[in-house]
Amino acid sequence: MSNKVDLQEGWRNFNRKNTYVLSLIIFIITTVAYLLLQPNVFDEGVISRLLTSNFRTWLPVILLAIGQTIVMLGGGLDLSSGALVSLGNVILAISITSNEEPWFNLLIVLGVVALGLIAGFFNGILTAYLGLQPMITTFATSFVYSGLALLILPNPWGNIPREYTKVYRNTSWFGIPLALFIIALILIIWAIIKNRRYGHFLLAVGGKADAAYYTGVRVRRIRISTYVISGLFASLAAICYTLLTGSGSAVSGAEMTLSAITAAILGGTSMAGGSGSLIGSVLGAIILGTIKNLISLSKMDSWYRVLVNATVIILALASPGIINLIRRKK
Amino acid sequence: MKSITLNAQSITKHFGGVVALRDGSLDANSGEVLALVGANGSGKSTLAKIITGVIDRDSGEIVYNAEPVVFKNPLAAHIAGVTAVYQELSLVPSMTVAENIWLTHEPLTRFGQVDTRKTVSDTRKLLKLFEGTYQSTLRPNAVVDSLPPDEKQIVEILKAISRNPDVLILDEATASLDSRQVECLFNLIKEWKEQNMALIFVSHRMDEIFRIADRAVVLRNGNSVGEVKIAESSEAEIVSLMIGHESGLGRTERARLEIADEIALELIDLKTDVLAGVNFSVKKGEMVGIGGIRGQGQTNLLHTLFGNKRFEGQIKLFGETMRPNHPHAAMKKDIALVPGDRATQGLLLIRSILENLHLPNWQAYGIPLNIRKATSDANGISKTLNMIMESLDAPVSSLSGGNAQKVIIGKWLLRDPKLLLLDDPTKGVDVGTKAEFYNLLDRLCGSGTTILFYSSDDQELIDLCPRVLVMQDGFIKADLSGDNLTKANLVSTSMGAGLDAVNNNTVVEHEQ
Repeated sequence: MSNKVDLQEGWRNFNRKNTYVLSLIIFIITTVAYLLLQPNVFDEGVISRLLTSNFRTWLPVILLAIGQTIVMLGGGLDLSSGALVSLGNVILAISITSNEEPWFNLLIVLGVVALGLIAGFFNGILTAYLGLQPMITTFATSFVYSGLALLILPNPWGNIPREYTKVYRNTSWFGIPLALFIIALILIIWAIIKNRRYGHFLLAVGGKADAAYYTGVRVRRIRISTYVISGLFASLAAICYTLLTGSGSAVSGAEMTLSAITAAILGGTSMAGGSGSLIGSVLGAIILGTIKNLISLSKMDSWYRVLVNATVIILALASPGIINLIRRKK
Repeated sequence: MKSITLNAQSITKHFGGVVALRDGSLDANSGEVLALVGANGSGKSTLAKIITGVIDRDSGEIVYNAEPVVFKNPLAAHIAGVTAVYQELSLVPSMTVAENIWLTHEPLTRFGQVDTRKTVSDTRKLLKLFEGTYQSTLRPNAVVDSLPPDEKQIVEILKAISRNPDVLILDEATASLDSRQVECLFNLIKEWKEQNMALIFVSHRMDEIFRIADRAVVLRNGNSVGEVKIAESSEAEIVSLMIGHESGLGRTERARLEIADEIALELIDLKTDVLAGVNFSVKKGEMVGIGGIRGQGQTNLLHTLFGNKRFEGQIKLFGETMRPNHPHAAMKKDIALVPGDRATQGLLLIRSILENLHLPNWQAYGIPLNIRKATSDANGISKTLNMIMESLDAPVSSLSGGNAQKVIIGKWLLRDPKLLLLDDPTKGVDVGTKAEFYNLLDRLCGSGTTILFYSSDDQELIDLCPRVLVMQDGFIKADLSGDNLTKANLVSTSMGAGLDAVNNNTVVEHEQ
């Protein structure tokens, strides 16, 4: 009897703590399918090459999904992060040249990071202090950021020095690319933060903000901090994207916002806040990337590609509702 | 534990135009249990929340240990040693028992990580306080969402006590506990009192106040109207303080209409998740009031009759057993419900008055829609109800509270209901509109409509209804009519005390 209770509770807790289980399963299926479609997978160096080329492409969306997840855990939503990527991207594209001293270029990069933090803080003030709807507010600020991007660089252009892009594109240790090390580092830092007070407060605010306030959590500060973190990750994504493409475009991040949100939801993060995980979002972003690869490998018409992509996004966004429906039936 | 004194002096608080607290004063001391007593809406919870910094006061002063203090937020109050067990729980449903209890004062390891092992073992120790009164599923790692209401309440109490407060406010902490758990809590309160804690106990239950409190401060309409020593007081004294001088006036006589002998509605052992076995019958054309403290099952009862809740037992409408399982089924039987929360349950705020009036009625106007007839009917009902509005096409959100309520009533009157269920319909409605509304109800009764009328305003029930059923804990506690229907009886029965009238046999007995 008590054993059964133990098991039930254990299972419930496992599910609660490991919201990414579903995404892990989908990840394995899509990855296996992808590898099966690759010729000569087990030849020497093939896996390493695939890892490098895929993860450097996926990293911007993965970073954005991580920032988005933090906001969603706190019960908010950031629709402006993609636009922030565009803004960071164009600033880097027009400023960084091989003519300048390295320290000057570093200053530009730091400036972009600072811009991300400030933009996130601005989002946070608008939503947490003025109490505006996160969805509408960040949708509105996204126009500000993408408008600025368009003002700075109306036509795609850019000439990032090769010595910089090479570092991002090709660095790997023991066959593991730089991007994976970055992801691992972020996940380790998060594992530490999650079990500090901040992590508990974040989940409390997202779970039930009133209760958290009654208990003495500084709800507004926590909320603002989530948007600042999202802004930080948007600027990191902008840096990675710029190094990936070597150029800038005012619409580079436009599609990333939805991908990041989809990745987070696919990874088991709740739109209502208070539950989810970073690892799930990373897996979610990888799944989205793999599915894109699968579509292009299958040589479908471009129209079908869009259709399949859209279907995946709809299923991911609707999955919490579908799971709820099944649970209620029981 | 250090000795403290806490004085709240003439606290006032407005919510919009509504005065919640006019002159809230109390003083609490270490080693003492102070009861805060008052009827619905007398300002008890508001006062408690101002003391703990959850809401700001408009004016007045809180003096804590002889120093004036302002608790800007709950955190500031916690730091000063003032904490509360809240009526609407302050637990995060998605977190575990241990995480909830230690939120904001988690024990940390040397590296600043939350010491999970310690929170779990400390939570075990705290749970021992209530040992034997909860199921085995209540444990440190259980997710709060999965717990039944009484165990959530226990966690809420433990959460407050885990801070070792100097002042502990218990706001309706016993409402969802069973008798064993209440017993356990009271023993703990006695212990805490001996440890020199100052306790403020907000309760609706007279017997509990007399069992546990040393002193009682009585609130009426947002004013602190009196303070009594429990040992030297009686239930009657507290009740008379609660209702004030109005009690002597009795109720205003209204023209009684002859009521037919036909039974319109009969409930036999009606049970839901909230109702614990409700029996009563109502005659055709009768207006029966439902009273009692808020949240004792009144709203649940009305919603059950309207097909909105699962239930066991029997509902007979004009002798015919029915099983309403959806509002649509209830509407077919000519039942109408005016819900309590106008904005979310009663109206489509951004849509026009016309659309709202006809929301349940479009079917009657055929295909294609006879919009001219619909408009003239809507005009008719708005005249009958004396609605003040720009035009039928104006959105409902442009109306005042009273007029918005008229739209809800109007939409059901267009259907000519046989049974009208009213869930606190005059909340936030101005006096003039209320008077019109009372006349309307009288007219409806005269024309044979049966009305069940729940109100949180005791005076209104007495003025309006010849018969009032008092609910507590999902039971009908008393069936008051005739000479028994006085404010004193209404208040004392709703708090679980007996009738103070001579005739005692109308109290409905039940087994608990």
